Amino acid sequence: MATSNNIKKKKTKPAIISEDQITKKQSTLYAFISFAVVVVLWQLAVLFLPNFGNIFPGPYDVVALMIKIVKEPVGRLTLFAHLGWTLKRIFIGYIIGAVIGVITGLAMGTSKLANAIISPVFEILRPIPAIAWVPMAILWFGLGEASKYFIIGFSTFVICALNSIAGARATSEKLKGAARMLGASERQLFSKIILPSSVPQIFAGLQISLSASCSTILAAEMVRSEEGAGWLILRGMNTGNMTLVLVGLIVISVTGLILATVMRAIERKAISWSFRGK
Amino acid sequence: MKLSKMKKKNNKVKYILISIISFTVFLIIWYMVTDVFKLVKPISLPSPVKVLESFINKFTVKRPDGSTLQAHVLSSLRIVLTGYIAGSIVGVPLGIFMAWNRKADMFIRPVFDWFRSVPGMGWIPVMILIFGINIASKAAIVFAISFVAILINSYSGIKNTNPVHMWVAQTFGASNKQLLFRVAIPSALPHIFTGLRQGLNQAWASVVAAEMIGSNRGLGYMIQMNRENSRADLIIVGMLSIGLVGTILSFVLQKFEDKYVRGRH
Amino acid sequence: MNNEVVIKCENISKTFPTADGTAFDVIADFSIEVNKNEFVVLIGPGQCGKTTLINIIAGLEEATSGIVTVGGELVTEPDPKIGVVYQETNLFPWLTVMGNVEFGPKAQGESKASRQERAQKYIDLVGLTGFENQHPNKLSGGMQQRVGIARVYTNEPLVLLLDEPFGHLDAQTRYLMEEELEKIWRQERRTVLFVTNNLEEAIFLADRIVLMTNCPSTVKQEYIIDLPRPRDITSREFLKIREEISKNLDLTS
Ligand SMILES: Nc1ncnc2c1ncn2[C@@H]1O[C@H](COP(=O)(O)OP(=O)(O)O)[C@@H](O)[C@H]1O
Ligand SMILES: [Mg+2]
Repeated sequence: MATSNNIKKKKTKPAIISEDQITKKQSTLYAFISFAVVVVLWQLAVLFLPNFGNIFPGPYDVVALMIKIVKEPVGRLTLFAHLGWTLKRIFIGYIIGAVIGVITGLAMGTSKLANAIISPVFEILRPIPAIAWVPMAILWFGLGEASKYFIIGFSTFVICALNSIAGARATSEKLKGAARMLGASERQLFSKIILPSSVPQIFAGLQISLSASCSTILAAEMVRSEEGAGWLILRGMNTGNMTLVLVGLIVISVTGLILATVMRAIERKAISWSFRGK
Repeated sequence: MKLSKMKKKNNKVKYILISIISFTVFLIIWYMVTDVFKLVKPISLPSPVKVLESFINKFTVKRPDGSTLQAHVLSSLRIVLTGYIAGSIVGVPLGIFMAWNRKADMFIRPVFDWFRSVPGMGWIPVMILIFGINIASKAAIVFAISFVAILINSYSGIKNTNPVHMWVAQTFGASNKQLLFRVAIPSALPHIFTGLRQGLNQAWASVVAAEMIGSNRGLGYMIQMNRENSRADLIIVGMLSIGLVGTILSFVLQKFEDKYVRGRH
Repeated sequence: MNNEVVIKCENISKTFPTADGTAFDVIADFSIEVNKNEFVVLIGPGQCGKTTLINIIAGLEEATSGIVTVGGELVTEPDPKIGVVYQETNLFPWLTVMGNVEFGPKAQGESKASRQERAQKYIDLVGLTGFENQHPNKLSGGMQQRVGIARVYTNEPLVLLLDEPFGHLDAQTRYLMEEELEKIWRQERRTVLFVTNNLEEAIFLADRIVLMTNCPSTVKQEYIIDLPRPRDITSREFLKIREEISKNLDLTS
């Protein structure tokens, strides 16, 4: 202790072993300051750098447009209606993909037989990015909603399956042994040990695939759609309206943040046993 | 004991056999549905024979999308590797710097968090606007996407350095620079490599999206173009090639990691 | 003392294959018998195969040769009549204390009222009243071990195997836990095989101490401890026995 204090006097310590903690208030403050600096710099650049200002709208324009299209429709719909479409596509595709993915993953992670049967096809499909399914999905399901559910569903399926496999396989042999010692049957071993101990990893999959869905839906809508946040961006691109592009981007990223936060809250509730403290 | 060992080996053979059978059944069903009973139109699902044929032919035939398969692959690889290498060169040091330096962390991280909340594909219009429709804008999209994963992992790698190791090094009088280069970075290497691997996967996945808008070559362009030509066989060839190249890329990086990182830990 | 044999190991040997292809003999020709309601302590140096032996008796691992019977039946797989308390607790982190303790009877389909009544009894007995709804990650190491003990007792096994259950605890807690375990055992007699590498702990608890040799381990010597319970570790008799055994004991490995 004494030595480390002496050293501290001589030089500032690297952040990872520094003893002074940043309070939550401080970090919020810094976040706010840096955010404000970026916005101000952006606005200044638009105002005073002609090249930049010509192609890039400032934050003021973006916010103004965002407020405007809350009331006035772009295309057929207003901002929240577009967002609603995007959210609906994400949710339906996500839920279907997550259910199938978790079940498939748990089966593969638990049973060697299931793994042997499923893995050849799974291993071929797995590395194909969801976006690469867009043309095929359109051929199979047409230009409507079903193809979008399929694309989101596929991306969610792969991520959830991989995480569930990992979770099931990482189940501690010792805990399985303890359960058998207490008289659990093979089936109970699954429902009482493998399943609950995979839950944190399953949630990791649900979390990652939710973020991935926000990105995938954007791309899917940008390729082909008539409404949604991705369409706003596409429309902005096609009409040379960069402000609209940025509005679409901000809307989808804020939505993604909100979804991730909600998911994390659910996760904390569901697996409080795996978090230390409190 | 010998018995149980043999049993294990037999089991392994058994499961490999099951896998082979399962895959064969999959192909047979696919073949039955398409070529034998013609339950679906070839335009939505061509037969496996047709796909294989198109795959082999695509190495020499440029029609209908203008390039051979290898030309598409090379074009995509060029974009991905450019963006990815740039993403690594910026992401790794910036991640380390942010984790090491309190001030950098507090000021850059909020901006970075904001940056990374933008869905990767959202960068397409921004990059096109800045760079125009060319290889630079596509590489920039790949950069923006791979950079995030790479930075986050380097950052958490350094943050997860065991403080005990740092204290020990300190009591031996190590300077801050030595702490960073002798303790923190070596112990963060596995994390950094995880980031490089994730970054590469995402980079490869993103090129497809990048090429769907304004290209004339590349695997993403190829599948998009063949949808317009209603050539499902070539779409599937394109998709399988994307999967295959992606797998090879992560395999190569994994081998590299095994050789240079894992051995030392 | 009742002389009915409950745990019987006959000529157990265990060999592990090693990375370079040679065989590593951990246990060689090990035989032991534990009588009904007897408290036997197995003591030996670290890495001498004690955990391996416990796993074999518990049916979690297969012996290379030799047989194990518990209650007259051959052991081939884990069985609720053989209860194990592990060194690294192995509690189910997603279950509460109550959930862990009632796990066995619940898995075997016992009614809620009856199993929880028994679980509560043992939770009280190990001194965890009031902690029923806590998850293991909120408990100290000593408390976790108590849960492990209550969990096994609630399952009403024929025999109890304890593998260095207090090995990870600090000296103070360890001593406390030894006293409590001994008290519980006097209240609820069971056939116990207890593994340790701590001689004082062994003499404090055991009816009989079995000394193991280094690898490949086998029985070196046995001592009957007939001091009255509860024992005083500072008494002359205690120290005398301790000195006698420690002459024969090599705990370095
Ligand atoms: N599954 C295994 N494979 C190979 N060696 C093992 C295995 N399990 C235990 N061993 C070895 O057997 C020896 C005895 O281990 P263990 O029974 O845990 O000893 P103890 O409990 O007495 O400390 C150790 O050297 C250990 O490395
Ligand atoms: Mg042990």
